[in-house]
This record gives sequence, C-alpha cells and structure tokens, in this order.
Amino acid sequence: MRSLVLFALLAASPAAQAIELNVGTVRLKGAVEQPTTFAGIVVEPDRRVDRAVRLAIQESTIKFQSFGIEEKLYDLELDPDQPLSAQLAQIDQTHLLLLDLPKTQMVEVGRIIDRQGAVGVNVSLADQSLRDELCLPGIYHSMPSERMYFDALSQYLVHSGWRKVLLVHGSSDQDLRRKTLLAESIKRFGASVSDEREFTLSHHPDDRDRNQPEFLTGGSSYDVVAVVDSAKDYGRRIEYSTRRPRPVVGDVGLVPRAWHYALERYGAPQLNQRYRTLDPANSEPQTAMTDAEFAAWAAVKFVVNSMRADFVDKDGLKLRALFENEDSRVDLYKGTRGSYRSWNHQMRHPILLTSADYVVDVAPMPKFLHPTHYVDTLGADKPESSCQLGK
Amino acid sequence: MRMLFGDQSLLSRFISVIKVALAVITILFPSQAVSYQLAISNERSDEVLLHDAEGRVLRQLLSCKRPRGMLVEPVNQDLWVACSDEDAIVRIDPESGEVKQRIAGFSGATNLALLGSEQLIVSNEGAASVSLVDTTTNVIVSQLPTGNEPDGIVYSADHKRIFVASENAGVVHVFSSEDFHQEALLLTNLRPRRMAINKDELWVSSEMGSRVEIFNAASLQKMDRIIFSPRGFRSEQLTPVDLIFSSDGLTAYVALGAANHVAIVDVVTREVEKYILVGSRAWGLELSPDGTRLYVLNGLSDDMTIIDLESRRPIASERTGLVPHAVEVVNR
Repeated sequence: MRSLVLFALLAASPAAQAIELNVGTVRLKGAVEQPTTFAGIVVEPDRRVDRAVRLAIQESTIKFQSFGIEEKLYDLELDPDQPLSAQLAQIDQTHLLLLDLPKTQMVEVGRIIDRQGAVGVNVSLADQSLRDELCLPGIYHSMPSERMYFDALSQYLVHSGWRKVLLVHGSSDQDLRRKTLLAESIKRFGASVSDEREFTLSHHPDDRDRNQPEFLTGGSSYDVVAVVDSAKDYGRRIEYSTRRPRPVVGDVGLVPRAWHYALERYGAPQLNQRYRTLDPANSEPQTAMTDAEFAAWAAVKFVVNSMRADFVDKDGLKLRALFENEDSRVDLYKGTRGSYRSWNHQMRHPILLTSADYVVDVAPMPKFLHPTHYVDTLGADKPESSCQLGK
Repeated sequence: MRMLFGDQSLLSRFISVIKVALAVITILFPSQAVSYQLAISNERSDEVLLHDAEGRVLRQLLSCKRPRGMLVEPVNQDLWVACSDEDAIVRIDPESGEVKQRIAGFSGATNLALLGSEQLIVSNEGAASVSLVDTTTNVIVSQLPTGNEPDGIVYSADHKRIFVASENAGVVHVFSSEDFHQEALLLTNLRPRRMAINKDELWVSSEMGSRVEIFNAASLQKMDRIIFSPRGFRSEQLTPVDLIFSSDGLTAYVALGAANHVAIVDVVTREVEKYILVGSRAWGLELSPDGTRLYVLNGLSDDMTIIDLESRRPIASERTGLVPHAVEVVNR
C-alpha cells in the first residue's frame, strides 16, 4: 500500500505542488570560527557546519525528488543583544534548524522554536546538562553527549585491562565539571581513579614546577593517564612526558570522537571522499568532518533516511511527526543505524576511539552491549536519565 | 578449439553438450561430484586466492589493489575481477592466473554483471554511476547516473531490466536494458546492498535496515519483507549483505553481516528456517555447483565457513586472505 502511494507521488511529482523543507544553520553573529592556542597553532579545527550540510543535501537529492520535496538552505546569524524571538519570527513547522550556538542561546532558541512547531537540532554542544537537567522538548541532539564520549573511553579502558586511572585535569569550570563526569564513568564500568591531579593555565612562577608533566604524573601508581583539558592547550604536553611509561587518553592521545578521517569500514571512506571533493579548495587527504559537522550531516540525513509517505501530505512535510516516530533512523556509516532516544532526544551513536591517524576501536565494547539498543550503554540510559520526554 | 568448431555458437553448443553430459554423469554417479575450485577476492591483502573445494588455499591467482566483485564468464569460464583501488577490471584465467584483459577508467569499481556476451556493467562506487563497457573494444560505451555508492547489479529473469542498488541514496534504480533509460526508482530501507532474482521476485538486502525487502520485478510493487532475529543479537547488529537462491528457487541464503550468522529462508512461506553461526561479519556467499554446500566469507575473521546444506551444519572453517569480499566457483 505504501509503495502504491510512492508511485503515485513519483508519477505526479512534476505537476504537484512542491513540499517545502527549509534547512537553516543557526549561529551567533560574529562567532569566532577558528580558536587558536598560541602563535596561530590550530589544535582542533572548528569549522562552520555548512559544508557538511551541503553534503547531506547532495546525498538526499534523489529521495527528496521522489517525494516532491524542495529543500532550501539558509544561514541565520543571531544577534545576541537583540530579542531572539523577533529574529526567529518567520520560523515555522517547515524548518529544520541546525543549532551551532552557545548554551544560553541554544536553550532560548529551543524554547522559541518549540512553540512555533519547528524542529531544532543541537549540532555543536556535548554539554550533559542539555540532555539531563535542562531537558528541552524542542531540541534534539545529534552531537554525542559528554557522557557518551566518556562512557566509550571508560569501556575501552576496562576492555584493555587499564583499570587504574590517573586523572589529570584543568581548573576551569568546564574542566571540573567534565572531570567529575569522567570519574563517574570510569567507576560505572568497573575501573578506578587512582589519583586526581590538577594543572593550571597560569604563568605564575610558583605554578611552573607544579605544572611539569613529570611532576604532575609522579608519586602514584596507574595503568593509564586520562586528561581533561577542554581548551586543548596544556594537555598536549602530557603525552610522552608522564612519570611512568603509560598511555594517555581523553582530550589528548586516544580520543573518543564521533567521526574520523581514517575510519576504514562501514562505507566511511566513501563518505569522507565525498566530503573532500565537495570543496576542492579544502580537500587534503586528512580533511574530514569535525564532530559538529558530522552531527549536522547526521541531523539532515536523519530526515531523508526516515522519509516516507506517512510524513508527507497536502499540508506539507510533517517534520515533527518524523522526529517523534520510533521507526525513524539514520545510516551513520559507523556499522549501525542511529536513532533518537525518546527520553532525552539524544541521537544514538557508536563512538570511535581514535589516535591521530587510526581508529583503534569502536565503542560500545563487546562486553558492554545494551539488551535493547546495543549502543545505549553509551550515555544516560532511560532509567538513569533525569529527563523523561517520551511517553 | 577454433579450428575444430569454426565459430562461437558451435563452441558454446559443444560446451552445453558437455554440461548436459556432466549433469547426466552426476545423476548417474552421485558419488562422483563435479570437481571445482573457488576464487576469493581479499580487499585488504590485495589479492585473489584460489582455494580447493574443501576451502584450502592453493595459490594466489591475482595481485591487484582492493579486489571486490567478481564474475565468471559462462562461455570461456574466465574470471572478471573488479580491482577497486586501481579503478579497473581485469579478466584472468582462473587456473593459471594469467591476465588476459584489463579495462581501466572506472571510479572505484565495486561490482559487475554481464550484459549479453560482449558487454559488462560495472558499478562505480566513487562516481555515483554505472558504466557499460564493450569487452571486445575495451571502450566504456556509456555511463548511467545513479545515487551515491552504487553496489549490487542484477537483471530481471527476462533480461529486460537492470537493477542497481545505491547504498547512500537508499534506492534501487530500474533501467531498461534496451535503451538504458531509467524506468523507475524503488525506495528501499537503509543501505540497499545486494540483490537476487528468483523468477518474478527481486530480493534486496538492506544492510542498515536489518532486513530483506521483496519486490515484484515486473510490477515493481513491494511485496514483502523478511526481518531476522538470531538469538543473542539486537536488531541493529543485523546487517544483511549477500543473498543467494538455491537452484530450485525454493530456498534463500542470507549472510547477516555483523550478526555472524547465515539465515536459511523458505522462499514460499518467507519463514527463516534456521540460523547458522559462522565467522565474524559474514558477507560473501556462494553455492557449490551441486548445491550441497554453502561457502560463507567472514570479513572480520579472515576466513571462510563451509556449510553442509543437507545437515545444515558448518563443517569446516578455512583461512582466507585479509577481509575476504567475494567468492566464485571456478574451474569446474
């Protein structure tokens, strides 16, 4: 019956009224694109997500055409000093907003567009509180959460028999918060924190000795050093300089990621190839989507992969129904399909454990598979989450 | 041979006679199984290896970069191999490994199918197209645009239609084999990979949709779907790729990828009759010429499981090269 409808649509598509889908990339006016550490050195690229969005749209042409969907891409730069609701006045239920925003605006925009019937997807923030305490009904998260990254890492540590972890972290609020999450995750999967060491980014002479990696990692027994350094600055000094000859993981060394240029399986090389050739000016062999770009790509692909006749009628595309449907899913090129968790709107992802040039493993690890959705051992499972959006 | 028979049709008639004679011999003397060997393409060790019917490696047939899809030419029994990272296809003697022909100009050649006796159709994973190539002149006659990552190619039973699966677009393109225009698009579940034709049925494996979808190859209507559930695996781990029918068309065998099983499906009732545990990430499938054995390639454990189809049990596991992709019966 469904395929009958599709054929009718196929046959009728040139004459029929086009169905609108507006895909907006939302960021703050004047947002810094490329934060550098020192002397122009870029440790972690932080590009706009546009290129990944264009790629996702390019991959969707055939299917959108067969449903008579006409997609429009646009950029929306919000001025944080002006009322946001006025700037979002024209957003209606035909809009899919990819939110590349700081937390404060992410939350506010989410509340506004929820009332207007649009769907917003957080494509840039891993912040755990957006999935738990803040619990935003108007926003989906295609970016993995901090817990997903840390759970993946902790599973790998246990899997590798590296059970005694020296936790080295910065002193910023973000580092302290993430350090607590990582420590919880390490314990949850059966490893332990042998000691915690804090470094500072200060240049005060008194701190200089304390911040020496050898000193910082001395006087304790451990199998592995886990580094929390959100600024990606100091942490880089620790690898190859630890007091004991031990591997380094976390924000440096073995890093959990949503995507990587060197993933060899699951069709990933083809996706990476398409991403590179989309923009010949920036097509170095090691160029690949950042995690935020991958999240933006996945957010759009979720719509096209889940598209079916049920979500298209004379009134247009039923975007929200598509997101709320439990059969909706996306091919993530990571060996399994992704879908949104009903309780906190987090997209399910396998997480890659990566070195600079290799995907060492893909979590969840074999001994940590969830009985229903096997990736649900990464991140807050339904009974544990303080956010209960689904039925 | 040329001198004896003068032209191709006589030669092929001679071969058919031999085949019939062999079939008769097989029926009269069932213990005298037809001898054959297996060619296996190994993506990660860049080689096609020749194995005996018991799965043991005999020798390397071909060294080329990332060999994947293969097919045996029915007339001369030569083996075509898609060498993906060389953007080429090569024809070799499956006994000596001698390279007889090489055609380049494909972008990431993945799979191939024969179109009549002188044309091949090749899926270009890197270019979102399939190429039609004239094997007598080595010229790529035309390119048909498809969705990204075209993979499996099959013909309808009457050879009037060509079906090409696009993994990324989630569609099967239906082309006319007369003028190659696109007749229709079949919307499938996530990541359609391989297809098989059984009379008027087109079976399509959906790797990320964890199912096989069945279409009527004439009306193009979706008829049915098969969902798999081997014990101990979640739905997301079921990633079916290769599928193959028994010669009587009553049984289908489906490799379930990351679920490490092969499913035996009753074609009439659509019921899964049995799940057989094999190696890690089962992809490539091939039946022995007499249909009593199923060869299963395990891409992550770098080996091949041999299943005895009378007892429906695995009887042996033999090593292959690295990341075995496709297996074809050769030298029968």
